[in-house]
Amino acid sequence: MRWYVARRLLWAIVATFVILSITWALLYVTEQQALTSIQFQAAVSGGDAEAARAAYEQQRGLDRPLWRQYTDYMTNMATFNWGYSTSRGQPVTAAIADALPYTMMYSVPWTILTVALGLSIGLYSATHQYSRFDYAATFVAFFGYAIPNFWFGIVLLVVFGVHLDMVPIVFDPDAPVFSLANARQLVLPVFVLTTGSIASLTRYTRAEALEYVEATFTKTAKAKGVSERRILLLHVLRPAAVPLSTILVADLLGLFIASSYLVEVVFGIPGLGQLSFKAIQNQDTPLVLATTLVGVFIAVIGNLLQDVAYTVLDPRIDYGDR
Amino acid sequence: MGQRHEQRTERQQGTPLLSVRDLTVEFDTDRGPLRAVDGVEFDVEQGETVCLVGESGSGKTVTAETITKLIRMPPGRVVRGVAELDGRDLLSLSERELRRVRGNRIAHVFQDPQHALNHCFTVGWQIREAIQVHEDVSDAAARERTLTLLDQVGIPDATTRYDDYPHEFSGGMKQRIVVAMALAANPDLLIADEPTTALDVTIQAQVLDLLEAVQAEYDMSILLITHDLGVVAELADRVVVLYAGKVMERGSVYEVFDAPAHPYTQVLFDCLPGRGRPLRSIGGRLPDLHDPPPGCRFAARCDYARDECHTGDQPPLYDVEETQTQTASCVYHGPSGDPAVLRDGHSAGESDG
Amino acid sequence: MSTDTPRRRFEDIDWEANHGIAVGRQTAGFLTTLAALAVVFAFDYVREAPLFSPNPLFRDGWDLTQLDWLFVVSLSLFVFYVLVPLATHRRMTAHYWREFRKNRAAVVSLWFLIVVFTLGLVGPLIVSKPQVALTQSYQPPVGLSVDSTVPLSCVGDVVGGRCHGNWQFPLGTTGDGKDILSLVVLGMRVSIRIGLITSFLIISIGATVGTVAAYVGGLVDEVLMRYVDIQQVFPSFLLYLLLIYLFGGSLLMFILVFGLFSWGGTARLVRSAALQRSEDEYVEVARCAGAGTAHVIRRHILPNVSGTVITNLTLLIPGLILFEAGLAFLSLGDPTIPSWGQTIAAGRSDLRTAWWISTVPGVFLFLTILAFNFVGDALRDALDPRSEVE
Repeated sequence: MRWYVARRLLWAIVATFVILSITWALLYVTEQQALTSIQFQAAVSGGDAEAARAAYEQQRGLDRPLWRQYTDYMTNMATFNWGYSTSRGQPVTAAIADALPYTMMYSVPWTILTVALGLSIGLYSATHQYSRFDYAATFVAFFGYAIPNFWFGIVLLVVFGVHLDMVPIVFDPDAPVFSLANARQLVLPVFVLTTGSIASLTRYTRAEALEYVEATFTKTAKAKGVSERRILLLHVLRPAAVPLSTILVADLLGLFIASSYLVEVVFGIPGLGQLSFKAIQNQDTPLVLATTLVGVFIAVIGNLLQDVAYTVLDPRIDYGDR
Repeated sequence: MGQRHEQRTERQQGTPLLSVRDLTVEFDTDRGPLRAVDGVEFDVEQGETVCLVGESGSGKTVTAETITKLIRMPPGRVVRGVAELDGRDLLSLSERELRRVRGNRIAHVFQDPQHALNHCFTVGWQIREAIQVHEDVSDAAARERTLTLLDQVGIPDATTRYDDYPHEFSGGMKQRIVVAMALAANPDLLIADEPTTALDVTIQAQVLDLLEAVQAEYDMSILLITHDLGVVAELADRVVVLYAGKVMERGSVYEVFDAPAHPYTQVLFDCLPGRGRPLRSIGGRLPDLHDPPPGCRFAARCDYARDECHTGDQPPLYDVEETQTQTASCVYHGPSGDPAVLRDGHSAGESDG
Repeated sequence: MSTDTPRRRFEDIDWEANHGIAVGRQTAGFLTTLAALAVVFAFDYVREAPLFSPNPLFRDGWDLTQLDWLFVVSLSLFVFYVLVPLATHRRMTAHYWREFRKNRAAVVSLWFLIVVFTLGLVGPLIVSKPQVALTQSYQPPVGLSVDSTVPLSCVGDVVGGRCHGNWQFPLGTTGDGKDILSLVVLGMRVSIRIGLITSFLIISIGATVGTVAAYVGGLVDEVLMRYVDIQQVFPSFLLYLLLIYLFGGSLLMFILVFGLFSWGGTARLVRSAALQRSEDEYVEVARCAGAGTAHVIRRHILPNVSGTVITNLTLLIPGLILFEAGLAFLSLGDPTIPSWGQTIAAGRSDLRTAWWISTVPGVFLFLTILAFNFVGDALRDALDPRSEVE
């Protein structure tokens, strides 16, 4: 088992390596494009195209041999030397460290709520299939998924912020983390995110649980005299947790990365999503790259955790070799 | 434990351990209600083995699983009838009271050992749970008892196997574990639903031997569901033949095997090779249980069917002449019938209805 | 219950044996259409002017873009491999329809999607491109009114200081006077393009990679699946962000990124089904009978996973449409394409005074996603053999 985890870890590192190489290649292509346009502009304005090219190459370090550029890039990435953000006037790593807490502030309650509500509603739906609650849960889940996050966020802001004056319209980044003010300004983002993400978990939990609710081993447990609740929480949820762990990562992580952009922009939360969004607007390449890569690293780590969770949860998986 | 022994001694002489009367179960389907079991009646006496026999779809499993309400409800629904354990109707018990019966007094062994155990828990854990659900004993004591049980059902190296997961056992071993789990709370009745169908032939015999052995050791009754007449001959004291949700014939195993009284039972035995008669297959199919035709359920496939077989209700279970306990739901055994017709036609191996 | 009569499933259809001529025609029809398209494409490529100059039918003329070509190819694939088989196998279609009809919400949703699809297909030919006209700004929809100080001038009637909606703009206008009805119809076009083209890309690449990996096996399988691993790890959303930052955004880019990098799941599905099937007896029999690999794939593997793949798509497409709207809202989308997200973003700052600008396209977006979900759910019940209950 330890060997299996080590292999997955190694694989995660290889995947990261490949992804970094791809981004380097993309950057290289754009730099070449920029170079061509600079030469073209220099030529048009009567300057020396060759000199302009040399100056640009000098400035961007493009005069180094290709291999050197690549290794330097990878070394910088590995040593967290991610460059300097011109738009923020601080190192990229510092900007990310500043933004990260704000993202955590709404994503932690969001994750907890989604998992708790999604699992319990899904389980209840599965055991009360085709009941009124089941239909209502299905509808609410679909409703939450179908309503565009950003639009829902704005509408809620207008209703509860402007008309009812129950929540602040402008996010106050200086509010203490554990304070009523902070809770009030985080209620809507967490609500909007949860309604958006609960659907898939509810539906999958329902489907997976249904499979096990009807399984022979559930009947065995019932025949032993085990109570309904214990059957649900142990005999059904435990095997269902195996496929659900996959969905948690695969579905929710993707949703999370995209939603965090929209929600942070709509609610003005200065987290990673907004940092990245502003970096794109300000043409701040090192920051764009770094914030994107942070998302990718989160995805890589999420996938790694998912693989490990899978083997821990399902005793049938033979992690000896393979 | 003690309380239960009291109950057992309290039981009046002559009251069967389990008594099923007029059991009728329907399932709601897209095409309307489906009557899977219709007026089934039989008894299981203390210490005896009763076999429910019939082809698939005849309602054997539904009958067995309705006794402790294991069927899913809805779509399932008990229309009427009682299932009395020591004179107490199980079907009218609350869920909480039923839980004290399940496993504790009536245990189940299901057909498919591959899926009867939860793949996410060790076998030790699962057997221990069966003990601790009914008895307030410490983990250590429950573990001790689990090891004894595993030993009893013939799992070698029980101590080391305790923490193994189900997938680390073979099919036959899994069925032994399921049996051990059924024995965990020392039940009075073991309901075994085709316990050997999914196993290899050699393993089948071992599991049947095991059932016989534990029956003697625990002084249990067994309600065995099977379509394998060889198994019936080996284990059964009495036989109940089901067809399309109705009881066709009942009787002691000797009587039924010696002289099957109902045309359906006769055909069923003719399907069995090595009985000295030419092998036959039953023509036709089970009647539609959504809307069964009037008269005897078997009439459409019966070689002896008369006009009256196609009208009215299923004939009552008439006593078969010259037998002690055998009854058959067939007009030829009734007041207006002549059972000789069946016997003649049967022994001649001809069919000239 | 064992009383069920055997039913034919979508994947059970003998796609070629019994209807050899019909399906042969189907493939031939598809290839002919592709060939015809290639000719028109070549003609269009050589000719510099738009294929259709402005005329009464196509009001603004019609210069076919790469996106249009992709769309037409996807559309013909859809017609020949979804609509034609459904029309040919009447009994099977009737059976699915019976199953599907049980879910009433799904039936309503399907009709809604058909309307959206039809409007999105022909609407842009009828509806003119909305023009900026400041004098017509902030008109409320029919049946609603707004304080007459909001619009510059009221097209409809002004009663008691309130400007009422007028049939000239049934759904009102935006802050720069664009007709919201036209914007909604054009937004449908964007949505069905995203849906159809990405499905086309995902199915064709996913199915190809999955079957190749399963049948060639060995190193090829290993390399392809490891690639899928990496692709699955890299969130398409971030890749798209990176690409639009580096190269600039367009709808074509969006569709290509999400189409070309979302097929991993489909490929894995097809591969595992293919591996499983290849051990099944009937495939062995087909092999022994001398059937080629391509034949086995087409005839036995693809039909078997079609239910699951289609169901997955009905759940994937709404996600992509939402993504596009979200990106358009962040103004990271294609600014030249009048998508619903674009309009929602445009009305964002007017939400307090002219709430309909964001809300009308928002409701359409919401209904479309909702409809896809209901249809997908019903399809899963009807098509996916794994989730068959009783």
